[in-house]
Amino acid sequence: MNAMTDIPSQGSEGPEVIPVTAMFNPQIMMAGSALVALLLISFIFLLTRRRTSSKGTALLLVGPPDAGKTSVMSQTAFGQPWQTQTSMQINMSAVTLSPKKMFPVIDIPGHPRLRGQFTEHLPSSKAVAFVVDSSTISRNAAAVAEHLHLVLHALTSLPPSQHQPALLILAHKSDLLKATASSQNTHTLAINRVKTILERELEKRRASQSGGINIEGLGDEGESTELGGLQCGEKEGASFKFDEWEGGEIIFLGTSVLQNGSAKEGSSNGLESLQQWLQDNM
Amino acid sequence: MLDHCSISHKGGVVLWSRSFTPEAEQLASTAASPVNSLVREALIEGRTTEEKYEKDGYALKWTFLNEFELIFVVAYQRILQLTYVDDLLSAMKNLFVQCYQPVLAAFVASIHNVSTTLTVQAASFDFKQSFKTWDAYFDKLLKGLESQAALDRKSRLRSTVRPAVVAATPPSESDNAPALNPESTTDEQQIALNVQALKNRLKGRGGRRGGKVGRVGSGRDSNTESDSDVQPKRKAKAKTQRKWGDEVPTEADMATLDFSMDKPDSGSENIGSVDVQSLVDQTSLGTRTNDGMYEVRDWDFSKEKDGADDAIANALKPLDSKVSSSEGTLGTLGSIFARLTGSKVLTDADLKPVLEAMKQHLMKKNVAMEISDKVCEGVGESLVGKKVGSFQSINNAVRVALSTSLTRILTPKTSTDLLLSIRTKLSAPLASNQQRTPYSIAFVGVNGVGKSTNLSKVCFWLIQNGLRVLIAACDTFRSGAVEQLRVHVRNLSMLGINGAGDSKGRVELFERGYGKDAAGIAREAINYGRDHDFDVVLIDTAGRMQDNEPLMRALAKLVSVNNPDRIIFVGEALVGNEAVDQLTKFDRALRDFSSASGTGRGRGIDGMLITKWDTVDDKVGAALSMTYVTGQPIFFLGCGQTYTDLRQLRVSNVVQAILKN
Ligand SMILES: Nc1nc2c(ncn2[C@@H]2O[C@H](COP(=O)(O)OP(=O)(O)OP(=O)(O)O)[C@@H](O)[C@H]2O)c(=O)[nH]1
Ligand SMILES: [Mg+2]
Repeated sequence: MNAMTDIPSQGSEGPEVIPVTAMFNPQIMMAGSALVALLLISFIFLLTRRRTSSKGTALLLVGPPDAGKTSVMSQTAFGQPWQTQTSMQINMSAVTLSPKKMFPVIDIPGHPRLRGQFTEHLPSSKAVAFVVDSSTISRNAAAVAEHLHLVLHALTSLPPSQHQPALLILAHKSDLLKATASSQNTHTLAINRVKTILERELEKRRASQSGGINIEGLGDEGESTELGGLQCGEKEGASFKFDEWEGGEIIFLGTSVLQNGSAKEGSSNGLESLQQWLQDNM
Repeated sequence: MLDHCSISHKGGVVLWSRSFTPEAEQLASTAASPVNSLVREALIEGRTTEEKYEKDGYALKWTFLNEFELIFVVAYQRILQLTYVDDLLSAMKNLFVQCYQPVLAAFVASIHNVSTTLTVQAASFDFKQSFKTWDAYFDKLLKGLESQAALDRKSRLRSTVRPAVVAATPPSESDNAPALNPESTTDEQQIALNVQALKNRLKGRGGRRGGKVGRVGSGRDSNTESDSDVQPKRKAKAKTQRKWGDEVPTEADMATLDFSMDKPDSGSENIGSVDVQSLVDQTSLGTRTNDGMYEVRDWDFSKEKDGADDAIANALKPLDSKVSSSEGTLGTLGSIFARLTGSKVLTDADLKPVLEAMKQHLMKKNVAMEISDKVCEGVGESLVGKKVGSFQSINNAVRVALSTSLTRILTPKTSTDLLLSIRTKLSAPLASNQQRTPYSIAFVGVNGVGKSTNLSKVCFWLIQNGLRVLIAACDTFRSGAVEQLRVHVRNLSMLGINGAGDSKGRVELFERGYGKDAAGIAREAINYGRDHDFDVVLIDTAGRMQDNEPLMRALAKLVSVNNPDRIIFVGEALVGNEAVDQLTKFDRALRDFSSASGTGRGRGIDGMLITKWDTVDDKVGAALSMTYVTGQPIFFLGCGQTYTDLRQLRVSNVVQAILKN
């Protein structure tokens, strides 16, 4: 029994001491093999963990509440349009594009008190998808722009050593828009709408900031809390344009997740553009 | 009688739901559904310890099942007094987990899929298929409870009229109870049982009628509380007859659903204890005797990693060693096995001492007692039943949960960017016959907290941003108040803007002396500001005690007459337990009295300015108390005597300061 007393203290530190062979009681054997299994798993865990932290692989879903992040996740990862409600915590799942192509997808709740958690997952992300409900964007423009501003800021203030994830903006719920001109499909309509409105709102934020002194700026010692990330073009103070954003290219995609039953057989599920992009880029 | 009922994962996926009326059905799929409001406004806000949430005429009750991160919600019309909702929730919880544990475990695992376990690809989850038996179970549960409630009501009525006769009339009672058990027979034995059940019910009623408080607790987390009153007989049964998945429920299962028949000696707690044993069996395995040991080891481990600033852990260290010394013997192989494979389920008993220490710690940091209580209770609620890895001690789990909870409470849910808000209002398009009204901010609070001084600091900051500011001296009460502002305005107009020249003309004082009606002066000031092209009007109000109703009414009048763009409560960082009372009463008085005077919905406080921040060091609990009470953000911190001593709150710093020893 003496040997057993040592296991707990050593088990936490290192894999070496496993006195399994010394004992032949089947229970002990079981405990021992479980220990081996555990160590093996944690070893693999550490190994893969290290690899992922150096280079992101995940798709990070961010965006305002009720935009459809959880729906997009359930459709891409599980192939099911589940019914959803306001998220209280992060979901992490896996997308399988092909047996070889698999990556994690992380769904961050949109509630203002929880949305900040996305920054912790930026280092492990290869792409960040900002999901917007294009049917309510005009009503929520200011709040959505604030949220997007946070994301832009976080992306541009990543340390240079870190790979900056690609940024996608999903003009989601495009099925709720009515295509006016016959030449336009709802996806392009959604994209145009989201792009115009957000560009205008972000420009407002940029203009309000420029020349402004934030509260911390009053004291001498205060570090800046200024939210950056809205620079565009070469010269300081140019108005905000997505196409000229300092952080690089922003990809706009129109998407929708059709609820149960409404999907016609053989027709689109509304997420092809995203799936195609993921196929090509992840 | 119910309107809506749902079972969902905390991540947002709904596993099962049912609406009982067309209206509820329609509402359920929208962002404004009662369940969504509940999550947004109560659960995420950390108000999980409240008993009930009301919205748009609905009342909602809920319970958590942390082991599988599930929330069970029941919504019903607020006016109904449904006595069985707590029982329904806990019965649902127990039965659901008993029936679908494997599916649930697989689902939760797949939604926590960290990058390393990608190979375990999510099997397709078809909830419709997996939970197809649930509808029937649920119906039975609900019917049983409803009829029991009806029965209760009836017999209570009768017992008050003719108490002696009741026990003698069982046959009619058994007719009223729908026979849920398919094999139910009406032989003598059954009747005898019914008689017995009825007697028990009547016996238990005394406590039940008066004891609403007791019931609330039992409904909330039955899996921990009720294992004390599980009878040994049922324990044995649960072990042998546990049913998984889609199997057809046996007669015995049905019997456990049959609430029309009270189990002898289980008293009024009977429902809470249904099948609880199935939860206990698989998780306990004697780990309890080993808690201490395992704690200490983890403590050493975490101490090395987290360093000396791990305050909570430090504060709790004595507790740990006490536990370990009292349970010093080594455990069985089974528990070693359990420890090594890392399954440890947190129980109320595990958490209690840790949470108590945590509460004391928060109070030492000047968090109001009531708030410390609620925050810790909320943290406990989010942890009970949760599995912690073998490398994570209870302390650590609690510390992480507390830190998350504090961050969530302190993080603003509305924009705190005042400049943007001002500029947006000023640049908003106007109709041609309209004049641009300045942005107005009212500063309210109790006496002597530094309202005028900090108003001047805010003024300075606005001037620095190129805005023209009018200060309205609406403290017509305290002698010297107007003069004080006059001095500030003189100072401010002599200071340069961004270093260039003086700021004359950028700031002005609007005063009408003492004793006049503050609401009227504010009105005049705003009009003056509009006519003279001021951008912002800062309204200084007289300090008042929150219990002084006439003065609170006067303040509410000022607010409802002028409808300022922001109402900022100014409070001291030194305030302790008082913070709760002050803020609740200010907020409520503003809402109640301003809505009474006819301008639609009452308005409450929009945010806080905390003064004397520099005097409290790391005892920053007031920030937590204030944000918890109002749910509103802290706009500014005042931290000194000069105009530049104004800061913005950094959530992470405050959380750190609170957790620090
Ligand atoms: N019409 C339509 N509805 C959608 C679409 N995608 C999602 N929805 C609905 O939008 C609602 C919100 O979707 P969620 O996925 O829960 O939103 P979320 O972004 O996760 O929201 P939070 O968790 O609050 O941050 C749900 O009722 C969905 O059914 C879509 O493409 N079209
Ligand atoms: Mg969600």
